[in-house]
Amino acid sequence: MRNDSNKWDAPAALTVGHTENGVALTPIELTRQTLISGPRVLSQADWSIVGWPGIAPTPPYALSLRRDRVLLVDGPDMADGWQEDTQRAISDASDAYSVFDVSGDRAFEVLQRGAELRLDAESKSVARLLFGIGVLLYRVNTEDQFRIHVASSHAEALVKSLKLAISALRSAGQGNSRPEDALSKTS
Amino acid sequence: MTSHRTTRAALIDLGKPLRFTFDGTAYQGFEGDTLASALLANGVRVMGRSFKYHRPRGPLGAWVDDPNAIMGVTLNGRSLPNCPATTTPLEDGMQARAVNAWPSARFDIKGGLDLFHRWLGAGFYYKTFMWPDWHLFEPMIRKMAGLGDISRNVLEDYCADQVHDHCETLVIGGGAAGLAAARAAAEGGQNVVLVDDKPVLGGGVHQLAGVEDFAPRDWVASEAHAIEAAGGRILTATTAFGIFDHRMVGLVQNGPFGTAPRLHRMRAARIILATGALDRPVTFASNDLPGVMTIDAACEYLARYAVLVGKRIGVLSNNSLADDKLAMLAEAGAEVVRLNPADGAICALGRKQVRCVAQGRNSHKVDTLLVSGGMTPLVHLWRHAGGKLDWCTERQAFLPGAAPEGMVAIGAAGGTFDLDAALAEARAAGSGVPADAIPSRYKLTPLWPEPGSKGRQWIDFQHDVTLKDVELAARENYVSVEHLKRYTTLGMASDQGKTSNMAGLAAMAAVQGRPLPEVGTTTFRPPFVPVPIELYHGHHEKQLWHPLKRLALEQEHREIGAALGEYGGWLRPGWYGTGDAKAHIRQEILTARNAAGLFDASPLGKIEVIGPDAEAFVDFIYYNTISTLKPGHIRYGFMLTEGGIVMDDGVIARLDRNRFVISCSSSHVGSVRTHLEAWRQDGNDPDRIFVHDLTDHWATLTVAGPKAREVLTDLALDMDLSPTAFPHMTMRETRFAHSPLRVARVSFTGDLSYEMSIRRSKAAELWQALVAAGERIGAAPIGVEALSILRAEKGYIMIGKDTDGETMPHDLGFGVPRQKKKVAFIGDRSLHSVKANGARRKMLVGLTVSVGDKALPTGAHLVEGTPLQSVGYVTSSYDSPTLGHPIALALVENGTERLGESISVWHMGETRMATISAPCAFDPEGARLNA
Repeated sequence: MRNDSNKWDAPAALTVGHTENGVALTPIELTRQTLISGPRVLSQADWSIVGWPGIAPTPPYALSLRRDRVLLVDGPDMADGWQEDTQRAISDASDAYSVFDVSGDRAFEVLQRGAELRLDAESKSVARLLFGIGVLLYRVNTEDQFRIHVASSHAEALVKSLKLAISALRSAGQGNSRPEDALSKTS
Repeated sequence: MTSHRTTRAALIDLGKPLRFTFDGTAYQGFEGDTLASALLANGVRVMGRSFKYHRPRGPLGAWVDDPNAIMGVTLNGRSLPNCPATTTPLEDGMQARAVNAWPSARFDIKGGLDLFHRWLGAGFYYKTFMWPDWHLFEPMIRKMAGLGDISRNVLEDYCADQVHDHCETLVIGGGAAGLAAARAAAEGGQNVVLVDDKPVLGGGVHQLAGVEDFAPRDWVASEAHAIEAAGGRILTATTAFGIFDHRMVGLVQNGPFGTAPRLHRMRAARIILATGALDRPVTFASNDLPGVMTIDAACEYLARYAVLVGKRIGVLSNNSLADDKLAMLAEAGAEVVRLNPADGAICALGRKQVRCVAQGRNSHKVDTLLVSGGMTPLVHLWRHAGGKLDWCTERQAFLPGAAPEGMVAIGAAGGTFDLDAALAEARAAGSGVPADAIPSRYKLTPLWPEPGSKGRQWIDFQHDVTLKDVELAARENYVSVEHLKRYTTLGMASDQGKTSNMAGLAAMAAVQGRPLPEVGTTTFRPPFVPVPIELYHGHHEKQLWHPLKRLALEQEHREIGAALGEYGGWLRPGWYGTGDAKAHIRQEILTARNAAGLFDASPLGKIEVIGPDAEAFVDFIYYNTISTLKPGHIRYGFMLTEGGIVMDDGVIARLDRNRFVISCSSSHVGSVRTHLEAWRQDGNDPDRIFVHDLTDHWATLTVAGPKAREVLTDLALDMDLSPTAFPHMTMRETRFAHSPLRVARVSFTGDLSYEMSIRRSKAAELWQALVAAGERIGAAPIGVEALSILRAEKGYIMIGKDTDGETMPHDLGFGVPRQKKKVAFIGDRSLHSVKANGARRKMLVGLTVSVGDKALPTGAHLVEGTPLQSVGYVTSSYDSPTLGHPIALALVENGTERLGESISVWHMGETRMATISAPCAFDPEGARLNA
């Protein structure tokens, strides 16, 4: 039983964009996020299915989480519960995830500080661990605009981690002198 | 001055002089110097003291192999302990101090300890400090132990950047073989990364007169340019410190002094190991004197830093590689005296540095003695990856044997010490095109420690392990190399035995009369070089070490003075208000009992089970029967492990025929979700059951207390709140602020209570409405601490606090399903075991104390018999503001059959009496609950 209030920064949820070192971290407001599970939810989807490193089209689109689950982004309003005709379980999860975009030429470098990612290694699922936190990660619009959905209760920690990673870009290259430069300076 | 700077072209920038101090004396070096090379250039020989005897120490090596020159360094107010002088690049303004020496390395006051060396051999501590009690000596020994001092100034921004990366071919080592292999691989179209631990590429190439008709630096520049032109990447000042699973290579990239290094987690499809080999020291009498150095080190100092380590240099070598190197030293102006090991035992003479070398009856006046006992390939990383080692008699060294998948060793690391052969081998490895092997020209005559020989002969220079210590260990039967290492501390210094291991193994082999390969090696473990702990944690520290989950209403709680703390992985209000916490908690309890408490219960699990088989599934998951639950109704139940142990309790609500909501404990959401997902796929049809964890979507706010209904009435919800229309353990769905709102009549306090769940983004609106409504009837927010006492008054348990790893549901008073439930459920079988039916099971009870007694200590043992035996313990204990006396819950053997009995409570030597009672101490009839 102790008061640890001062050990934790007051929540500073990202409400406006943060830009540093050419990388922008932007909060995204989505109309709706819907969790849909079903035995054929991937094969009989009514929406574009997005995996890694897929680039999502204009909403609505469905993020592939696993073989029997998607997160529908900005889809139609649907009743929660079991849908007998489509054999789908549906739950509104609009507030379950906070959503951010990381964009810029060096955006991928930022993400590489939090996870072992490869753009040439495809995955059917967008689920990842980023900085040790479970996220849904994919691209939207362009090749250097990455979108992250994170459990709302962990958004604070993820934003803090992303900001530190963006700051770290400033010193990237430090200590990595080009060999020719080193040799040319010598006696 | 023996060692000095020459005019030889090297890799330092003479146009950039740098000022620095060592042990308080000012010196000058140049950009490109290391601390060690700059000190040698200034004629400084003694750069440190050994750990045990405080013997004077000078550099033995020129890079990571040196065990002697360890310094504490300060620059611009930033201090780092235990910096190896041989690998620390010199920077302007550096202040260096030798560790383990005072006032200076040259005049160390503890140097007198060496006079007692006869009594301080291996195992001295173990034998001497056993009587009368080790703990008497412990403080003094702890004070003397360790090297270096950590600055009290916290380096606030000392945070290692961490980055993941990958490549097709990772070449470790930027010497001749590494450069050639990387170039061949890159020009072959592979994605190549070359890493080298030095700031300037080339390894030992700079010692050579030329490489393939090029001057060494031109050849290195040409190879580096070709690698980058072909798309390869080069990381200098970057050390591969470990190879982990699936070819994940840990790379530490060093920056300017005082900045945290960067960690690269490099995943490589293929690893080419071109780490080179170390020149082995030779074991002879007084071989630890400053001025004794490996030949390779001396040549590195000359080639890279233009430092000639002596003027009259004795050379003791057993191998063919020495010849070219001696010519280089002579050309730089040294007078070289070659000694033949076969001519008799060697003894170095001098007090603080070599003055003379005696061999048999001959005496050679030298200021430096360079030695080479043969080359030891650097196979550490090979072993990290699981590669095998084979003994090579011809080279007298362990060489890489059976290779780990995707890994190859080339050049000196693979035992190929001739340049032309190494280049051919490297290009073949890089390109994948096999080449004919070129026969080795390397010749060597074994030159190992000889047990029984005279004089003090050092094996481990930093830890002062001598040949006699190895002999002593063998006499005392510490003959396994792993035991030898731990008994003598051989190889446990900061250099991790890079120069001492082979000599130690050879000495043990000789003592036992066994071949060296039979003795084997100790285990090679990461890191290859010391790295700061910061490298591993990066920014995962403080709030990001184990980030807590954050409430949607945290800001609202802070604004009204919440004292926040960790509860089950969430940052939650413990109580509200500053100052006397106990007084605030007491007031919150009284508020909840007299009016109503407003509680943020958002972390409670909201896991939906959906699908045509959902009903059967929750019946299988729960100890209780759930299938009989009607939509809109709620039931309390237990989830059990397969062993029948209670893993979680909570309520489950039925929303409709195919949909349930499980409200599990706040700290068990993750484990319950995993439990459900696992069982859904085991013995059930996963296509007919789906689990959606929506805990983060819904915030949950609770109003609990006799006036709770008045608070809800004020919200003007579209529902009938009367007890008959909305009774205890039912649930209603409505809307608030245009959002769905679930209201559940469940209670964790024993009073009338409503749990309201609303989507997270609307939580603040509902909270403000509740606070405003509450103020009118005297209700106020309460924290987790108050709730803990409120629930204990009612006898409600917390899993993990009032239960342990053996508690079954019938121990908690829930025995009916065990006897009557017909369908299968998890844990069923275990509830009928002999142990589950034992007569002495610990059961949940309450404890009362005499009027005026203080509360029992939580954790106190309930004891009886002679001698006293524990028959249970106190699980929860509080002063109850509601009841005006202490309350307690306990687990005690056969508890429910002992109600009313007195029992002894023992804690920290004090014994008190308590009476066993029913767990529920507040409103046992439930009138307030069902109001």
